Amino acid sequence: MSDASPALAVSGLEVRYGGVAAVRDVSLEVGRGEIVGLVGPNGAGKSSTLMAIMGAVSPSAGDVLMGGRSIRGMRSEDIARSGIALVPEGRHIFSNLSVRENLRLGLVGRRESNGVAKDLDWIQTLFPVVKDFADRHAAALSGGQQQQLAIARALLAKPDILILDEPSLGLAPVVVQAVWEALAEINRQGVTILLVEQRAQITVSFCSRTYVMSNGQIRMTLTPGDADNTERMVSAYFAS
Amino acid sequence: MTALQYIVDGIALGAVYALVAVGLALVFGVMRLVNFAHGELITAAAYTLYLTSSWPKVFACAISLLVAVGLALLMELVIFRRLRYATPATALVTTFAVAFALEAVWLIAFGPQGKSADVLSSLNRTATHGSLHIRWVTITMVGVGAVLLAGTGLLLNRTRIGLEMRAAAADFRAARLLGVRANRVIGTAFLLGGLFAGVVALLLTATQPLVTPTFGLQITILALVGVVVGGMDRLVSATLGGFAIGFVNSLLGDVLPSSQGVFLTSFLYLLVIVVLVLRPGGVFVPGGASARVERV
Amino acid sequence: MRISRKSLLELGAPALLLVAVSVIASLVSVGSQQDFITALVNATIVIALWVFIGNSGVISFGHISFVALGAFAAGLMTIETIVKPNVMPDLFPFLQHHSVGNVPSLVLAALIGGIVALVLGAPLMRLSGLSASIATFAVLGITNNVLTYWEKIGPGAQTLSLVPETTGPFQALVGALIALVIAFAYQHSRSGRLLRAAREDPHAARAIGVRIERHRLVAFTISGALAGLAGGLLVHQIGSITTNQVYLDLTFLTLAMLVIGGASSLWGAVVGAVAVSLLDSFLSNAENGTDVIFFHLKIPNGGSLLILGILMALALLFRPNGLTGGREASLKSLVALGGRLPRLGKARHTV
Repeated sequence: MSDASPALAVSGLEVRYGGVAAVRDVSLEVGRGEIVGLVGPNGAGKSSTLMAIMGAVSPSAGDVLMGGRSIRGMRSEDIARSGIALVPEGRHIFSNLSVRENLRLGLVGRRESNGVAKDLDWIQTLFPVVKDFADRHAAALSGGQQQQLAIARALLAKPDILILDEPSLGLAPVVVQAVWEALAEINRQGVTILLVEQRAQITVSFCSRTYVMSNGQIRMTLTPGDADNTERMVSAYFAS
Repeated sequence: MTALQYIVDGIALGAVYALVAVGLALVFGVMRLVNFAHGELITAAAYTLYLTSSWPKVFACAISLLVAVGLALLMELVIFRRLRYATPATALVTTFAVAFALEAVWLIAFGPQGKSADVLSSLNRTATHGSLHIRWVTITMVGVGAVLLAGTGLLLNRTRIGLEMRAAAADFRAARLLGVRANRVIGTAFLLGGLFAGVVALLLTATQPLVTPTFGLQITILALVGVVVGGMDRLVSATLGGFAIGFVNSLLGDVLPSSQGVFLTSFLYLLVIVVLVLRPGGVFVPGGASARVERV
Repeated sequence: MRISRKSLLELGAPALLLVAVSVIASLVSVGSQQDFITALVNATIVIALWVFIGNSGVISFGHISFVALGAFAAGLMTIETIVKPNVMPDLFPFLQHHSVGNVPSLVLAALIGGIVALVLGAPLMRLSGLSASIATFAVLGITNNVLTYWEKIGPGAQTLSLVPETTGPFQALVGALIALVIAFAYQHSRSGRLLRAAREDPHAARAIGVRIERHRLVAFTISGALAGLAGGLLVHQIGSITTNQVYLDLTFLTLAMLVIGGASSLWGAVVGAVAVSLLDSFLSNAENGTDVIFFHLKIPNGGSLLILGILMALALLFRPNGLTGGREASLKSLVALGGRLPRLGKARHTV
């Protein structure tokens, strides 16, 4: 793994469902230690891009590279064990399991067997709900708490890259704020983050770079300075 | 024959059916696949017992178990692995085809006449305690059933692979995205299924040493019915359903006069239909009467 | 009902195939004739299966019970009244003392199949998928159990024999064609279309007010009637019937025919039935030893079941839409059959 290559790169990606191309010629990069955003309206192809990265869906063209090495065609469980963790849209908590058990599943993708206790401590400081509700059924948690559990679970795998698909979906603003503060802290600890969101303005001001996607293609790249430029934001969203 | 006798016999048969049910439910849980061919694993083990009946008992039993497990894993590797992304209806009918093909294999290899696998028939002796006459095989069925079921519970709840299996049963894709290996989880389910099928064969041959090509079919069909009636989606309800069908089957078989006994099968099937219509989620599942989002 | 040229081809192709089979049956030697008649009777059964399974998407394991009921009803009522009290002393007097002719017996068989399907099907139609399949399997089990042991309505475990053998190439063809036309009519009826739409997307269908249960019941009843008719044809072909002949083996065989041919289309049903039936007959003959061009072929007992099972499994694994791709007969596909068979992807429904 060369240090010059980005942590995660996608080039010329195309994802098709039947005859329809949900993702066309998409290229993006996430540098080591960066927080990069990906925004766009519903149906833009953001989730499909993530699914292709994680190997859950097979791209019809293009490549996915992690640290310069191609991971296209790898099974999703193997990708998850290589240092990428995904917090999927809708959280996908296992509601039949307890919070503690959900968390334990995060260990499956972990590459280092040492340091679990230390990492767990840090995660519990970040997301106290995980400790307080340890033995409760995950289904008993509120949406915001489940989101925190999902991120905690992903963190326990000690990934190099953390990908989040719309973590603020359906959450109250105050909870969203807490989640994003946690993400900032996580990034400060050295984890590279790719953040997919629908809420453009807040994402653009938070991430060092944000790609704008619509209709299956990347339209432009925005920086925090663009966050207040309403015209630019609007044109990004409605580009065809 | 006292009431206690009936109940004990019922529990014993229930335990055997429960073992079949667990095997079916484990595979269904991780793959959403109903394996009609499960019964052939039982038949395979029974025929192996026949083939090795002159060997020392321990070896004969061990080899039979190995054959059942091996056949289960082979089925998964060669056929069911390809069905992972097929429609549930296609998968269901394929297992039907596999079951019939295997039955044909037994027919060709061993002929339609039964073969005797009486390795464990010595268990059929009676132990008397007061007015209670219990056959050793009854005690064995209850004991083995209890141990294996408890063991399964422990495996699922206290081990990592068990946790992975429970997660996969709830949301397979999410589990894989966390790194849970699909093949390992599915393979374990089939391994356990095969193992239990083998054990069931050993227990059944103790009371019915005659092995025919349809040896495992009848119990599998009824156990499957029990699983559906109990509630397919959860292991506990599925196993309870299997147990219940075995229990009821034994009880009605003892209690009904033999002239009516021939219609026992119809009673059971009718019960199935009634339960499916009134409580489609399963009898032993809380809230099972409400309409579920159909998965299949 | 809109009838277009395309529709006529879709009806004509399977009809022509059935006619061809019948013609061949009339021309070959008596020994082989039965195999072709069997193909026609099986086609009738599979068409009946298709009416329900193909349109609703629900796999029914129970239709052979209607075949069984039809066979026993038609058989029982065409045995001479002089004979019945001797061979079946426990029959209900009404059954014992009456007899009907050939065609009325077929009508009776269809009626019984349809009525029982209607009655048993009514509570089952709200079940879906796996639960429905298990419930229909239970129906099969009950019918088999009752027919085998209730001696007031039939011979019980013994063979029902001395049934007049009136199903020759012509009767078998007429029966199959009647089934085909009715199936075709249903396919193009409003109920059939709605049912297929609901098969693709049950939630959307319900959202626009489609009463899925009712349409399923219509399909189930029609298919029960057709299956009963097929049973009547069957008993008049063999001249006898036992409960084992209309139980698991026939269920498996006819499902295999439907699946291998292509469960989604009527054309698939007919093609599958004829092809697999002839193959099965050939293999069954091979179990007794038969001559194939230059050499004598004998396969062990059970070999036919094994080969069919493997074929069915292979078809499902590699060609889940069947030989016809689940599509109805069209000029393009018939031409393609002459060249290459159409390529398939994953399991997909076509209307």
